[in-house]
Amino acid sequence: MIARIGWIIGAVLLIVGLLLAGGVDPAAAATKLVQSSLGTPRAIAGTLEQTTPLLIAAVGVFIALRAGLFNIGIEGQFLVGALAATQLALAFPTGAGAVAALLGGGIAGAAWAWPAGAIRAYRNGHEVISTIMLNSVALALTDYLVAGPLRDPAKGTAATFDLDPAARLPQLWAGPGYGISASLILAVVLVIATHLWRIRRVAGYELDLVGANPTAAPQMGVRVAPVQVVAMMASGAIGGLAGAVQVLAFEGRFYQGISPGYGFDALGIALLAGPSTLVLIPVSLLFGALAKGSVALQLIGVTKGFVTVIAGIFILIAAIVRVRREATHD
Amino acid sequence: MSYAVEMRRITKRFGPVTALDDVSLAVIPGTIHAIVGENGAGKSTLVKALYGAHRPDSGEIVIRGHAVTIANSAQALALNIGMVSQHYGIIGELSVLDNLTLGAEGGPFPDRHAARRRAESLAARLGTTLDWDAPAHRLSAAAAQRLEILKLLWRDAKIMILDEPTAMLSPADSDRLFESLRTLVAEGTTILLVTHRLPEVMAHCQRVTVLRQGRLTGDFPVSETDPDQLTEAIIGRRPIDAAARAVGETVQTVFDHGPNSAPIRLRVTDLALRGTGARAKLAPTNLSLPAGEVIGIAGVDGSGQAELFQALLGVAPHTGRLEWNGADISATSTRERLALGFRIIAEDRLAQAVVPDWSVLENAVLGLHRHPAYQRQGWIRPAPKRDWARRVADQYQARYASVDAPMSSLSGGNQQRVVVARATESDPQLILAFQPSRGLDLGAIQAVYTRFLELAAAGSTVLVVSFDLEELQRYCHRAFVMYDGQLAEAPDLRSETLGAMMLGQGFAPRAASPEVAA
Repeated sequence: MIARIGWIIGAVLLIVGLLLAGGVDPAAAATKLVQSSLGTPRAIAGTLEQTTPLLIAAVGVFIALRAGLFNIGIEGQFLVGALAATQLALAFPTGAGAVAALLGGGIAGAAWAWPAGAIRAYRNGHEVISTIMLNSVALALTDYLVAGPLRDPAKGTAATFDLDPAARLPQLWAGPGYGISASLILAVVLVIATHLWRIRRVAGYELDLVGANPTAAPQMGVRVAPVQVVAMMASGAIGGLAGAVQVLAFEGRFYQGISPGYGFDALGIALLAGPSTLVLIPVSLLFGALAKGSVALQLIGVTKGFVTVIAGIFILIAAIVRVRREATHD
Repeated sequence: MSYAVEMRRITKRFGPVTALDDVSLAVIPGTIHAIVGENGAGKSTLVKALYGAHRPDSGEIVIRGHAVTIANSAQALALNIGMVSQHYGIIGELSVLDNLTLGAEGGPFPDRHAARRRAESLAARLGTTLDWDAPAHRLSAAAAQRLEILKLLWRDAKIMILDEPTAMLSPADSDRLFESLRTLVAEGTTILLVTHRLPEVMAHCQRVTVLRQGRLTGDFPVSETDPDQLTEAIIGRRPIDAAARAVGETVQTVFDHGPNSAPIRLRVTDLALRGTGARAKLAPTNLSLPAGEVIGIAGVDGSGQAELFQALLGVAPHTGRLEWNGADISATSTRERLALGFRIIAEDRLAQAVVPDWSVLENAVLGLHRHPAYQRQGWIRPAPKRDWARRVADQYQARYASVDAPMSSLSGGNQQRVVVARATESDPQLILAFQPSRGLDLGAIQAVYTRFLELAAAGSTVLVVSFDLEELQRYCHRAFVMYDGQLAEAPDLRSETLGAMMLGQGFAPRAASPEVAA
């Protein structure tokens, strides 16, 4: 415990040192960060907006991790899910269309993850490599589609037509010029459902078993390969769902560069959260606040990249603390 | 006299548990010194303190007359102390030679030719040789252990700690090991041997230290003690002879009933593994197992016992026919066979039988997690699961803090108690027990086999692989022998009969299977 606090203090000192080296007053930066992410209702709404896709995508990464798989492909699954949802919502501009778009986004993400799961399960090809390659394909494919056949010619940039408001996810609560999306509820429900599924369902137990001891699983009547394929597809489905939510709740259209790297941030969140599903929520909030605050920080001379560095330091420290705990387990 | 190792009044606590209570030990240079005791008696904790893995709360360690503090294994090695633990530190992907030199290459640009020459001369001291360029995962258990000992020689260890070195060795390999150890001792090496096996102590050791529940209960020159005195020091005043006699009588009673007229439970016809090279490991096998018997399988380690079990359980894809109570189950999955009452006590506990990071509770239902008692329509039933976990953990008196504690917090023997109880207490119809006594002490071994015999009397079938002939002779109704992937029934259980069969007598010769480092 003392060692853990020591590491956290060390992390804070490191961040302070880096800020000072960059010529920024650390106290001012901290104040600005908290102010701009949590200081006003508008700031909080902005943080929650940043948190929502991160949280959903992190659940996706998390499920694969529990089965012992690194799904680096959330980014690609997010993109295909977002574009599929956009097209469905454009085709059916109603509330039912929004539901269909959410489902379609999930299915697209699952389909995009399937090859990686099958290659890992039946050909022992590492999922890190296959998902990274699938990310490139997803990026190139969606870029092409949105710049070509699916482009709204009236727009100056590569983007689709705008969604009919009827096919978008409703606001739970609307303030002047900002609001809180119903998708936040969706994300929280997803986390709780995943949590309950893991601790109360036999299938969740078996998924954890495959991740925790893949050589013992077959002795216990659990075949590893099908579980890996299903886990990868579930992970991809949730990644696709995150993309669908991003479009239906926040963006209202698909455009080139719609994801600022949610898939990769989600990986950090899931790794930081460790084995507990519910911890995904506070960690996602932390990343959401950093994302929201990073814009404001730029105003006082902190570059956007620096916020990424801070998030990276958090992940490193979490990894160190966890490895130390495991090493002293004996 | 100057001792090689002196440990004076060592005390070590883990939370509320006192693992070592005022234990002293003095080891004469150039001897084999045995440390015996039941599981959890503190043997491993004591030697780990010497190897720097545990820091004693109080007490003193004196090496060759100098008081020392040993905080980690590097410091232990600097004092020429090395240890071979039960779980080998071998990296399967690296070559045998790389494993030998890893971490002690002697500079950033090691001379591989010189390394090989030195490796060969060290191996010659042990009277062995290894295929230095082969990947280490191909080594047999015995060869892997020789590599572990060579690693210590490579690092100039003069004091060697061996933790249960013969647990997974065949009798012949054990004899070879002790031959090597005698050579090392003659050259001045001092050996600390942690063991359960009293015959080893009597045959090969000069002095023996006995621990019970963390306390010193005996310290004798081997020449002045006998197995009865040691047994009493190990287990206290429990009436071991009476218990053993009772078990013996149970077996005798079954034999007195003459040939077993019980129905055949499992009939196996032409069972063979599917896949290339699989036939080399398990020849097409026929086997009929009646209800109500404990049936032993003798044989040198690696003769196909593991493959047979994996095929019977349905983990390894196989051809041939399996009939269970007359019904064809050849195409069933492991899950379905578990539902029929098949239970496995797997060969490799950490890799196949437990999830070390999980709680005792979650480990207790492994493989039983689909049993209707612990789930209904896919919903886990936490309360029955918890009751079950307590029962499993207490069946053979495992020492554990709580069922929510991680499995890895239990000693190896206590983990084994949980694994065995999981099989014996879950209404098994057929138990496939691979070395069920591994890591268990005498009292627990008796309790486990007594339970096997009880289950058999109630109609179950128990199939036991063991490398300990005495165990099979004492507790089994009859025995098979495996040799080079083939199975044959032994006409009787005499050591000469089983021993000759284990070496291939009565088996047809087959094309030799390739093995690294004979």
